[in-house]
Amino acid sequence: MPTRIRKALITAAGPQQRRLPLQSLTDRDGATKPALAIILDEMFAAGIESVGLVLAPGDRPAYESVLAPFADRLVFLEQSSPNGYGHAVLCGREFVGTESFLLQVSDHLYVSRVEKSCTQQLLDLSATEGCAISAVQATHESQLRFYGTVSGTLMPGHAGIYQVDRVIEKPTPTVAEQQCVVPGLRSGHYLCFFGMHVLTRKVFALLADAAAAVPAEKLGLTPALNQLAAREKYLAVEIAGRRADLEAPFGLLRAQISLGLHGAAREEVLALLTEELALDSSRR
Amino acid sequence: MQKRLRLNFTVDPQLLALVQGADNGAVAFEHLCRTADRARLERIAADLEAWRQTADNFYHGVRAVFFLEAIHRYFLPPHYPVDAPGTIPFAGHERCLERRFEEAIAIFLTHQQTHGASDALGSALAAAYHGLAFKTLAQQVQKTVRHVRGNQWMFRMGHPLDYPLRLHGELLVRGPDGTAPVLREETAVRLDLSHAAWSDIFFLGMDYPEGAKVLNLSIDLAVHGRDATPRPPVCAYLRVIDEPVLRLTSVDLGATADITSIEEVFDFAKDYLGLLKAAVIAAGIVPPGLEGSGHPLDGILARLCGPGRGLEIASQVRDIPKGSRLAVSTNLLGCLIAVAMRATGQVGQLAGGLSEEERRTIASRAILGEWLGGSGGGWQDSGGIWPGIKLIEGELATPGDTEYGTSRGRLLPRHRVFDPKAIAPATRRALQDSLILVHGGMSQNVGPILEMVTEKYLLKLEREWAARQEAQEILRGIVGALQAGDVRRVAELTTRNFFGPLQTIIPWATNAYTERLIREIEAALGSRYHGFIMLGGMSGGGMGFFVDPAAKPEARRQILDIMRRTKAGLEHALPFAMDPVVYDFELNENGSTATFEGGEAALFSPEYYLFMLPRWVRQDPRALPSARRAEMDRFSARHLFTHGERPLVAPLMHRILPPPAEHTAAGGSLREMLAANGFDPIQHERIRADLRAGRIGLAQNRVAVTTQVEDVRAGDVVALYSPEHDAEEAGAAALREGRVAVVTLAAGAGSRWTQGAGTVKALHPFAKFGGQHRSFVETHLAKSRATTLAFGAPVTHVFTTSHLTHGPMEHALASARNFDYPGRVVLSRGRSIGLRLVPMARDLRYAWEEMPQQQLDPQREKMRQSMHKALIDWAVATGEASDYTDNTPLQCLHPVGHWYEIANLLLNGTLRELLAAQPQLEHLLLHNIDTLGANLDPAVLGRHVLDGATLSVEVIRRRLEDRGGGLARVGGQLRLIEGLALAREEDEFKLTFYNSATYWIRIDALLALFGLDRGTLDDAERIAAGVRALAAKMPTYITLKEVRRRWGNGQEDIMPVAQFEKLWGDMTALPDVPVRYLAVPRSRGQQLKDQAQLDGWLRDGSAAGIEKICAWGAG
Repeated sequence: MPTRIRKALITAAGPQQRRLPLQSLTDRDGATKPALAIILDEMFAAGIESVGLVLAPGDRPAYESVLAPFADRLVFLEQSSPNGYGHAVLCGREFVGTESFLLQVSDHLYVSRVEKSCTQQLLDLSATEGCAISAVQATHESQLRFYGTVSGTLMPGHAGIYQVDRVIEKPTPTVAEQQCVVPGLRSGHYLCFFGMHVLTRKVFALLADAAAAVPAEKLGLTPALNQLAAREKYLAVEIAGRRADLEAPFGLLRAQISLGLHGAAREEVLALLTEELALDSSRR
Repeated sequence: MQKRLRLNFTVDPQLLALVQGADNGAVAFEHLCRTADRARLERIAADLEAWRQTADNFYHGVRAVFFLEAIHRYFLPPHYPVDAPGTIPFAGHERCLERRFEEAIAIFLTHQQTHGASDALGSALAAAYHGLAFKTLAQQVQKTVRHVRGNQWMFRMGHPLDYPLRLHGELLVRGPDGTAPVLREETAVRLDLSHAAWSDIFFLGMDYPEGAKVLNLSIDLAVHGRDATPRPPVCAYLRVIDEPVLRLTSVDLGATADITSIEEVFDFAKDYLGLLKAAVIAAGIVPPGLEGSGHPLDGILARLCGPGRGLEIASQVRDIPKGSRLAVSTNLLGCLIAVAMRATGQVGQLAGGLSEEERRTIASRAILGEWLGGSGGGWQDSGGIWPGIKLIEGELATPGDTEYGTSRGRLLPRHRVFDPKAIAPATRRALQDSLILVHGGMSQNVGPILEMVTEKYLLKLEREWAARQEAQEILRGIVGALQAGDVRRVAELTTRNFFGPLQTIIPWATNAYTERLIREIEAALGSRYHGFIMLGGMSGGGMGFFVDPAAKPEARRQILDIMRRTKAGLEHALPFAMDPVVYDFELNENGSTATFEGGEAALFSPEYYLFMLPRWVRQDPRALPSARRAEMDRFSARHLFTHGERPLVAPLMHRILPPPAEHTAAGGSLREMLAANGFDPIQHERIRADLRAGRIGLAQNRVAVTTQVEDVRAGDVVALYSPEHDAEEAGAAALREGRVAVVTLAAGAGSRWTQGAGTVKALHPFAKFGGQHRSFVETHLAKSRATTLAFGAPVTHVFTTSHLTHGPMEHALASARNFDYPGRVVLSRGRSIGLRLVPMARDLRYAWEEMPQQQLDPQREKMRQSMHKALIDWAVATGEASDYTDNTPLQCLHPVGHWYEIANLLLNGTLRELLAAQPQLEHLLLHNIDTLGANLDPAVLGRHVLDGATLSVEVIRRRLEDRGGGLARVGGQLRLIEGLALAREEDEFKLTFYNSATYWIRIDALLALFGLDRGTLDDAERIAAGVRALAAKMPTYITLKEVRRRWGNGQEDIMPVAQFEKLWGDMTALPDVPVRYLAVPRSRGQQLKDQAQLDGWLRDGSAAGIEKICAWGAG
């Protein structure tokens, strides 16, 4: 059943990412703003009406001050203790209610290769498929340790859309090769999460059950998604774009270059890079 | 190379069905070939050759190659005229050495078109097809191993930036005092209770998965009388260290190394750490894709465990002797791979057991590791990773499998573990209480047996195929018996298996030692003996005896006594690596399991510290890292000064202050043996000086490169293929009158026969004749008995001996009362001995790098090159041409060539005594111990008598395997020339006659050559002068031999040593010596040099031919 997604959750409570979303970058239009603001701009432009931002205790003032322009469409949610990514998502249960919702991480920026933004691509597919969908990107096996990885089968007649069979959190190449090979990808590449999902409310039930079963353990999202795949229609889509992981080494730099090369100041950025390379080569 | 693609061929439908593996019960390949005439066989060969090149099924193509080998090896040769000359193009042989078998076959077939088919060329074609078949099969398995999912990424990964593994976080957390936690893996070994006819060979399981089944038990072991309780026999330890190195330690082999480069990780044979290195690679820690990448190892280690850090991995076999046939090495490899995969997150749980999927991954990595390390076992060998009792079965490949479309079966079989409902705990206990596992002490190479099994399977030979079906039925019976709780029935079935199907398929699975053990144990235990089981590829090492559980303690003692006694009686005849032991065993119901220890308990095994502590205490205490000092304290507190089950203070002191090592043997110390056996120190020093100066050596053995070497001309050789009445009469008269004696050369150890084990080849009970194992000595005497019976005059039979062979032969002949031989049996004791030398690096390089030699498959070739480099380094470090003394005295001494064995007949008075006792004696038949067909054939003897030559030399038409010289015109002179004296390898391929080393000698003429006559045979000085004078005219050859050096728990190193020799064949080069060359049938001159020849020798009818000329004694 076609679904319109109105609400989004953004998690920013991870111990390593609490300040990253506040770093300033120059966006595609040449405006300098916090990374999180770039994410919010893309979300609202894609039709999201309200965003729940999950933060660690004590972080709200810093976020409020820089995100003032979005204040009327933002809800600040607190993850009282660092009990895992799944727990952070579960903190948004009340805010989301019974609707399907968009889930994104706050330490990734997305740069689309096409006219539509990455968020828009995902929401458009959601509107037609009406089920849980995770955006994925073919990722080299050397990077598997950073991402949840899906195995699935290509949907006939739907380029880049897969029926998800299984989700494995940060598999080794050995496990990935045995369980996550997807036809059509380059050798040594797997479908890894993009950091952007449309999820149904079912995921909250699964997370809540898991939390109740083992209250002492950190709650991951991946096991819940793996269960979701077994219980309802769950798709993965290769987005025409790329993610820039701000947390990775030189992550901010790469994100900035990527934004610059895909924006209005492309020529300027190219000139800047060329100059740097020339200077570097003259030093050698 | 021209492609031999013939498109206009039709293959006989029956043959096509056979090659496609159809179950064509009515017509078997052997039957088809045996009933075909030469023309039909040649047509079949041509059709198969054309067909195989278009075959689209891998195994059908390989089977066609095996058919072609069999046609050229077994079925066509009897159709060739006995005296048909034939040559083998050297270019084809070169291609075979380079493993370019397809090209070799093309060259041989082109030669066949031009020059016609021949026995010689057929032997070359058979060898090339054999090589091609096994190369193709091995490549297919290796390809499949690489393509198995979960293994592929390791071959893609070629750059550190792509390195995907990270160490498990818990291994990086240090204790308060900086102690790194330790991960320990313990693994069982596997016992194959069914021995389902070697059906775990990969090639078999992948072609015929329905027939690939074994019942495999995971067991813990203890050496009875030494260890308190059975434990998992192999274990491995892993931890993070604060140095950017890969520290590998083999506790049981006493080897440790800090590896700092990727190249060194791939250098398997450099030290005793090859298995650990293979595990590190197969586990993906240093993936195979990085080989040759040139990247630094510390970069990889930094990514894996953090900057400045490294990894220490130690392995330990808990004193289980090598050769147990329990797949100890494969399970240790699996254990190491498991611990490394846990540490890198490739296995889910850091501690505890393994899931089925994880076990399968580890098993496939173990196959990869074995391939990398140049070894190879069966697909059941990693069974110790699984728990308990399991049925392992081949599986059909299905769409989606990497094997699908190539082979019918998957690489990895399916493991079905029996739960306590299927096989009750009481039955498991009964099995443990009934079965006594032993290591008989023998050490043998099972490689040739596995090749024989593969070949016979793919040829689908009738008897062997039926035996395979019976073995499967026995397996089902064993499973049923266990499920019914009937262990006695299991014993009956394993015994039936050993004496039935297994020996039908491979007669060499048994041996005289095993059969004597079974007989004696059965006699000693009576009704308490329930049965026998052979473990692994062949018997003599790991074996088992089923007994009445109530009598087990007493039976165990009796079995050990019988094994020790029997071994003592046969230890000179068969290769033993160690004294027999009895094991205690228990089923391991856990499989491979790991424990994770931090804090005070974070220690490696006590044996690790016994090995490492002496090294640490020798270091400057100020340079000892504090972590190591703390570790020593922990070890002391926990193990050293406590009163556990195994006190460690004494062994530690033994390691720190080892007693002086002294090699002694039954004949005394090396010095005593040299003195007692006529060692000439002056000659020894001269040889050493000449060797060091480069005046003698492998390269100097050769005749000048300008010397012309040609094949014989018409009239050079007297053909003796059909009976000559006159000669036969003359020979018969000589035999009736007692004018001839036999001299069998038996001084040597037969280095190739047992790969330098130092046994007495003459006494080796190598084959069954008349229903029992017979040695070479007994077989030769049986031929002489047949002559004695036929001509009525007892033949005197002399065996020449050496320091190595005299005592054992004397004892063996006395014990067997000369095998009831009716004539005189005389031992001619060696009077010359040499002391082996450490080879010159120059000669090692010449042998290994300049001489053509058979290349191995790429991984094994890498291993061999690595080994050669290590051995050259050893020779230089030990001292080139220094005395080789680091072994038992018998392995340090050498006989000095068979020229001296004839001279010794004069020096030790044997000939004088013979002539005194038998004055009519005029001729000697001299032959090698391994020339089984040489006998006193009256026709050959008669020709020698009638021709009046001093020496009559028997030669045979050459086949490819007949290497080592031949009959040639050398610089125009017709003579024998040794292979090592030929200037060029290809010269040997010009020679159509091979020297079978069988000589007829006219005694008086021989004495004249030494400047003697019958009247001067008691003049020792004159004899010595005569021997010296003639010896001076004989060339001295330097040869390299391999000797085994035994150490530890059945471990063996094979070391190259240099020695000198003078050879009898060079007598034919003396001017003015009348020599006749007699061309005799192949059956007279065929030699058995290598045990791998035995099966072909049996299959082609040679063995039956020998039996016909023998008359066995009653004893």
